[in-house]
Amino acid sequence: MCEPVIEVYQLSKYYSDLRRGRLVALDRISFRAAPGQIFGLLGPNGAGKTTALRILSTLLEPSGGTAKVNGYDVVAHSSRVRRLIGFVSANTAVYDRMTAWETVEYFGRLHGIDSARLRERMEELFERLQMNDIRDLLGAKMSSGMKQKVSIARALVHDPPVLIFDEATVGLDVLVARALLNTVMELRGQGKCILFSTHIMREAEKLCDRIAILHRGHILAEGALEELRDRHEQDDLEELFFHLICRHDAEYGGDGSGAVPSGRATA
Amino acid sequence: MKWSNVRWILAREVRDQLRDRRTLFMITVLPLLLYPLLGTVFFQIVQFQRRQTTRVLVVGAASLQEVEGIPELFSGRRFAPRWFSMPARAEQLEVRFWEPGGRRLDMRAEARRAVLAGRCDVAVCFAPDFAQRLGRFRRQIKADWEVPSPDIFYSTASEKSQVGFVRVHEVLQRWKDEIGRKNLEAAGLPPKVASPFELATADVAESTGRRGAAFWSKILPVLLLVWAMTGAFYPAVDLCAGEKERGTLETLLASPAERSEIVLGKLATIMLFSMVTAVLNLASMGVTGWLLLGRMDPFGAPPPLAALWLAIALVPVSGLFSALCLALAAFARSTKEGQYYLVPLLLVTMPLVILPMAPGVEVTLGNSLIPVTGVVLILRALLEGNYLEALRFLAPVVVVTLVCCTLAVRWAIEQFNSETVLFRGGERLDVALWVRHLLADRRPTPTVAAAVSCGVVILVLKFFVSFAIPAPGSSEQFAVLCGVTQLAVIAAPVLLMTAMLTTSPRQTLLLRSSGLRGLVAAVALAFFLQPAVHGVRGAVMRLYPLSEEIERSLQAMVGQLPLWQIVLLVALMPAVCEELAFRGFILSGLRHLGHKWRAIIYSALFFGLSHALLQQSILATLLGVLLGYVVVQTGSLWPGVALHGVHNILVVAAGMLLPGWLERWPVLGWAIVRVDQHGVVFQWPVVLLSTLLAAWVVLWFHRLPYPRSPEEARRETILRAAQVDG
Repeated sequence: MCEPVIEVYQLSKYYSDLRRGRLVALDRISFRAAPGQIFGLLGPNGAGKTTALRILSTLLEPSGGTAKVNGYDVVAHSSRVRRLIGFVSANTAVYDRMTAWETVEYFGRLHGIDSARLRERMEELFERLQMNDIRDLLGAKMSSGMKQKVSIARALVHDPPVLIFDEATVGLDVLVARALLNTVMELRGQGKCILFSTHIMREAEKLCDRIAILHRGHILAEGALEELRDRHEQDDLEELFFHLICRHDAEYGGDGSGAVPSGRATA
Repeated sequence: MKWSNVRWILAREVRDQLRDRRTLFMITVLPLLLYPLLGTVFFQIVQFQRRQTTRVLVVGAASLQEVEGIPELFSGRRFAPRWFSMPARAEQLEVRFWEPGGRRLDMRAEARRAVLAGRCDVAVCFAPDFAQRLGRFRRQIKADWEVPSPDIFYSTASEKSQVGFVRVHEVLQRWKDEIGRKNLEAAGLPPKVASPFELATADVAESTGRRGAAFWSKILPVLLLVWAMTGAFYPAVDLCAGEKERGTLETLLASPAERSEIVLGKLATIMLFSMVTAVLNLASMGVTGWLLLGRMDPFGAPPPLAALWLAIALVPVSGLFSALCLALAAFARSTKEGQYYLVPLLLVTMPLVILPMAPGVEVTLGNSLIPVTGVVLILRALLEGNYLEALRFLAPVVVVTLVCCTLAVRWAIEQFNSETVLFRGGERLDVALWVRHLLADRRPTPTVAAAVSCGVVILVLKFFVSFAIPAPGSSEQFAVLCGVTQLAVIAAPVLLMTAMLTTSPRQTLLLRSSGLRGLVAAVALAFFLQPAVHGVRGAVMRLYPLSEEIERSLQAMVGQLPLWQIVLLVALMPAVCEELAFRGFILSGLRHLGHKWRAIIYSALFFGLSHALLQQSILATLLGVLLGYVVVQTGSLWPGVALHGVHNILVVAAGMLLPGWLERWPVLGWAIVRVDQHGVVFQWPVVLLSTLLAAWVVLWFHRLPYPRSPEEARRETILRAAQVDG
């Protein structure tokens, strides 16, 4: 295996929640991802996937542990880390009052790319993602699929070695979602390290080289799909997923709240 | 900091705002249309008001015609036009006469009832023998002959009645003057006897073209500030809360732009729109006002250089308001929530804007140090043409405004660095739930929210106690007030909150030993600081003079107390109670912010605000910073208690004992210049030496390996890692 680009070690994140007290979103999770690899974070809603990816994107600070991208710590060198990643999420939107071209150009400028190279790169991206017909369309007038394409182009404009997709297919129709998955596979082919979070089993099965199953802030299992199947003697990923989650809930109690007593969660 | 990023963010935000039709309408179209329309409406209302008539009931006027020589007050059913400065105004008073005739009624009571019942706006009542007595007085002028006064009844509860009163009063005054003139003539004296000369007036502002300067200098700065703030607020809400709502902020935060670059880019955009809004509104309002009011005598046109001064002042004012609005808007989760923050912002800012409009408020060093107020006062001085006065206080105003701008920008950057602010969930505020959570999830020390709540509870209780208990009139009452405040308002809530919200009162209130050396150092610091403290106290008192009455009564009340009570009330109780609250509970909670100095300064601000008088608040805030530092460095409350107590004793003792000592032992003059109402003035070498010694003690505290909160330790580790790797 190549040198890992993403190294997450004992990463924890706590929130203070009025309703549920101290909520442990991530409890000492560790994983690594290498270039040319799609690493899937698979988990139900509220498992901690978005929190983990937001920490890697430097949007959130961890409460404990470390996360590194290309050897740079996400807290100490947040600025450098942001230059190395492209972040696409179901929550990230495009600007309503800017065209597709203006949006991608804006982020290219923020990455400090010079005009000539930026133009060349944008022409290539718009061609590859088939976005030339929406080049001058304002964000407010775009469909969900178009917006997602703009988001991907925006995340790729600086050609980052790491791409983070956080439930990027949520709300997309089958055709657009399929196109997005194809793009992700193409990017793997180019040697990018991709973190892909989803709660859809089929997407994970189809795409991911390695999978971490996340539930209530804990990684229940991590490895290549075949490894996981063999280790837990389950042929189907969905069955494996249910098996692990039920076992975890039976062990620690599952009231569905996601709250973990603070004493146990202390890292 | 990459300035190119700031520029790109600015360019995008401006383009984005200009593509928003609502913003364009609010900023450009509305002001251009609004003021001419408002001017038209104002003009019509004035016309309408001028035409409004006053209903006057005149009681007992029939007798006026029965006596010869009294000038005709009425002409038909109106007052005679000759009694008006503008004869046409006679039409505005509609007179109804009422004669009681043979009925035995109380005329005055009837007239009063008529006004109260709204049957007329004003009632004038002549006594039945008024005309006869006036006639007799005219025939034979004698000093002891009384003429009964006609009564004018009106009601201040009705504006129409007040306007009517002014009109009727003018008529009767002119009529009375004419009777006086005629009486003089009858007595063979020229009318000039009563009025030997007239007062000649000359408005020197006429020649300078600044006739309306007094009016415009009050109105223009306020309008500038109000529009600069309004112009900043709406773009700020759209640029922060709006972006959060639309989901584009997360994208920007994940880009390589630093938070400070994002804040500066957005700040520049908001400033630009704030300035454009203020300029367009003022220009449109100025032109409309000039056309409408310029011809009215008391107003005149705005001073010729007004536009220049307003334009110069607009830059810092817009900067300050833009940064404040940006920080507030960053805190909001949605555009709707952001708009709710406008009213609190206005409530906090408006007193600072309105204060300089009060009559008699002039630009002084003390006023110029008040944010916003200083800018308004300087602008006022410039508009009135008092350039020298404005120049004298320009430096403090500029410094204060720049400091406020910097703090506001830093606050905005903090908001953008705070993930709890940026990614706040949509959880509804439920006080019961929050209290339950605080009680259920107790930690050894209080949370930041609990610390802030404690500070707010103390301030609110103090406010109500100060109004509920009347101002002390004697030394006994003063002693009771001090005791109640310290025990019930400060100590009780803190001890209650410590017991309920924390698991370790010892850790929260820092009730651990500091060692003898810490205590000795704190006491020494209190001694060494005294000359400097008195110097600062004197400077503050000169800047914001305390009313002599308050000062005298305070000194008298303290002076009458026995010594043990003074030590208990002024030194021991505040030292223990206030230290438990501000350096114990509040500071312990605030240290979870992860910044030692921020925690110290915030706790000192709470400490300062808990003092009733502004002068005390300023001094207490400064002392609070030092006390906080000593407590943080030693990790113990006791050096804080020692420093606070000894300091208070020394300040009171200096005021009470030193004047007598100076008289008895003149040799003390080598150290002390004098003792006045502001405190003790020490010789400068004494101040210098003792301050150096105090600095040396502070340095000793600085070298102590102070215990860090987990958040502070984590922050230091991150900073160290960034320094080592970067």
